[in-house]
Amino acid sequence: MSSEQDHLKETDTEARFEFKKEQKAAFAAEKGLTEETIRVISEDKDEPEWMLERRLRALKQFQKMPMPTDWPGQPDLSEVDVDQIVPYIRPDVEVRGGVDDWRDLPDDIKDTFDKLGIPEAEKNALSGVGAQYESEVVYQNMQERWEEKGVVFMNMDQAVQEHEDIVKEYFMTKCVPPSDNKFAALHGAIWSGGSFVYVPEDTTVDMPVQAYFRMNSEGMGQFEHTLIVAEKGSEVHYIEGCSAPKYSAFNLHSGGVEVFVGEDAHVQYSTVQNWSKNTYNLNTKRAIVEKGGRMEWISGSMGSKATMLYPASILKGRGASDNHITIAFAGEGQNIDTGAKVYHNAPETKSTIESKSISKDGGRTNYRGLVHIANGAKNSSTSVECDALMFDNESTSDTMPYMEINESTVDVAHEATVGKIGDEDVFYLQSRGLDDDDAKQMIVSGFIEPITEELPIEYAVELNRLVELEMEGSLG
Amino acid sequence: MSAQLPANLSEETVREISDARDEPEWLLEARLEALAALDELDLPDVIQTPGRRWTNLEALDFESLVDPLNQSDETVREAPDDVVVLPFTEALDEHGDLIEERFGSVIDLEENYLTALSAALFTTGTFVYVPEGVDAQDVKVRAEMNSRSLFSHTLVVTEESSSVTILESIASGEDADEDRYFSNLVEIAAGENSYVQYGSLQNLDEETYTYTLKRGDADTYATINWIEGNLGSRLTRSDIETELNGDASETKIVGAFFGHEDQHFDVNARVWHQAENTTADLVTRGVLDDEARSVYEGVQDVGRDAWSTNSYQRENTLMLSDESEADASPKLIIHNHDTEASHAATVGQVDKEDLFYMVSRSIPELQARNMLVEGFFVPVLDEIEVDEFRDDLEELIAARLQ
Repeated sequence: MSSEQDHLKETDTEARFEFKKEQKAAFAAEKGLTEETIRVISEDKDEPEWMLERRLRALKQFQKMPMPTDWPGQPDLSEVDVDQIVPYIRPDVEVRGGVDDWRDLPDDIKDTFDKLGIPEAEKNALSGVGAQYESEVVYQNMQERWEEKGVVFMNMDQAVQEHEDIVKEYFMTKCVPPSDNKFAALHGAIWSGGSFVYVPEDTTVDMPVQAYFRMNSEGMGQFEHTLIVAEKGSEVHYIEGCSAPKYSAFNLHSGGVEVFVGEDAHVQYSTVQNWSKNTYNLNTKRAIVEKGGRMEWISGSMGSKATMLYPASILKGRGASDNHITIAFAGEGQNIDTGAKVYHNAPETKSTIESKSISKDGGRTNYRGLVHIANGAKNSSTSVECDALMFDNESTSDTMPYMEINESTVDVAHEATVGKIGDEDVFYLQSRGLDDDDAKQMIVSGFIEPITEELPIEYAVELNRLVELEMEGSLG
Repeated sequence: MSAQLPANLSEETVREISDARDEPEWLLEARLEALAALDELDLPDVIQTPGRRWTNLEALDFESLVDPLNQSDETVREAPDDVVVLPFTEALDEHGDLIEERFGSVIDLEENYLTALSAALFTTGTFVYVPEGVDAQDVKVRAEMNSRSLFSHTLVVTEESSSVTILESIASGEDADEDRYFSNLVEIAAGENSYVQYGSLQNLDEETYTYTLKRGDADTYATINWIEGNLGSRLTRSDIETELNGDASETKIVGAFFGHEDQHFDVNARVWHQAENTTADLVTRGVLDDEARSVYEGVQDVGRDAWSTNSYQRENTLMLSDESEADASPKLIIHNHDTEASHAATVGQVDKEDLFYMVSRSIPELQARNMLVEGFFVPVLDEIEVDEFRDDLEELIAARLQ
């Protein structure tokens, strides 16, 4: 191991994610999922009647739907017993809806986010920050100049109260209905926290807003909901970071993300996910893109025991476009099943999907993607590129793309490659004086560059560090 | 969900088929076992995505399609002297032991409902045996289907260091005025260092539903090359598969289809790399006109112990009509890192610039388009070693373009 890595390990990244805090809570729901639990959560949040009704409808949906078990090569979800998790924990914070000054937080929570480097990042690179601890957002702040322009960035629970009409119209109605899949239904029943972002017409939020999700307690589930409405001609970049310390019992994260990209609007949604390796990460993320709008999904999946995540874009208006960049890194015991879904429902729509995966030490990655071009989506084009890098023959790398083309005036291309790390490349770098580990790390960093260059520099560095940490010491 | 056992099918039916052909006891047993398994078996897997089932096999009404006791075909077989090419039934007399050993050894006859149905009821098919060291060219098996349903089973066995090129073609005899069903299973057991090219051309009338499963087992240094041309039939479900079980074995799976009107092609190419230094190349080219629809699944599966694997897959679909639909899913399943694998798939139209260039050289537009379509199939035609097969395929493509 090189000295650079020793340095990393001792001072930085590992310590930043692996620490645990004593589990303190003002209110924790009973384990398991019943109508009673949901009523209690809804009451604790003082929600309007319609939201409680939606939750209860979603619960019925959840109980009706079978677990997904028949997808070829899917992660094993048999351990995921919803009755074993604590669905809702309200941390011991006085201010409902989050404080707007880090100093007002209890020391242990403040310390958590300090270690994760969130306040530091806020100062340097962000327009606004939300931080969720267990089930509730504990900190929320945005620069005043955006507030003045009518930009809204607040926690989702608060938005239910303060922007009831918008939330009522968009919340799990048009984009991700609870009936979409079993975990979307679960999410609809017990969602808590998350962000609400509203960007008015022709407003460009030039620095990203970020939400950070932290699970601290053992055996809990986190179900935050993110709703982004970007009006005509607006632009916003939303970053989401996630982490949790590792426990022996499983944790469940089942977020829901709905994005409405208005005419000629541009939304970028970036995720750097570093859940602990006992977490099941089963999310539903979807965007509806109007005429001339552009949606970008950037995802780095490093953590979790099993991930099933396929961000989707529905290109609804003429000339709408989509760009997916995903990186998956599966080490020992991890199964990262991720990909993209794009529906071309209008003429002249365009999508590009770039997927990179790395598997080592028995890890398993799978690209699973669907591109659908509807009849009438004339002159649409799509290009899908998947590259996989494998370190050993204990690992598995699958690629399962699905293409459905119902229109002839289209340009559809899919390409995928799988290979081992090139001996010649390693040899070349060694001949320039790098040792074996450093050479391989450098190749991997180059391999994932397409995603790191899409992120603000702080996050790119972060992602690189995570990858380096994953690679550390175990290269043969 | 398993399909219903057709009411006109019983143990008696199967015994009658077997008795009429004076078959050995072991084959009757195998047929009866397949029949008994039908109750438990499902139709072959079909890809399903949210809101879309790529091929609907459930809609097939086997009760009316299957007429087991009135199967009729006319098959002409041509072969050089030093190779055995016999109707399956006749071959049982002289090569019974070998057939008993290999029948159902490459394809699990109880793999799905349709393979079991085929094994229980087949009345035609061919046995090809190439002795050690023999090089045989241009084995031709031309079959005509003359009944409501026809079930065929072909077995090819090649001994060490032999080689053979085979053309199998199937077409309809007299015009059918009813829905028909054709089922064809082909097994190839390729011995050490042997070479097989198996070409098949399907041009059944468009009232016929076709199911074919062709699978090869390649021993050390063996090569199995498949070439399939699909032009006929209303609905075709075709699976071509090679298991590379021997070190340094190779396979090519080359397919061409050309659909028009309301034809539906569900073509699949799969390869399993199970040994070291194996190579696979999958090439499929398809053209769709009118309301034709295609479904393609390609699978490259590289096993844990398949060190030093090379595996390539390409699928290209050309759409000539706005009403046509193409679904494709090229899959890579890789368990060994010492692999070089890639796949690529495209769907598009005839290239506008190419067309413009030809029109600017005074070639009428329709003719120019037809030339480009013919050219699109060249990578497939180039692979064909039996000249007659190439000529036939070219002719059928040209005829469809008129």
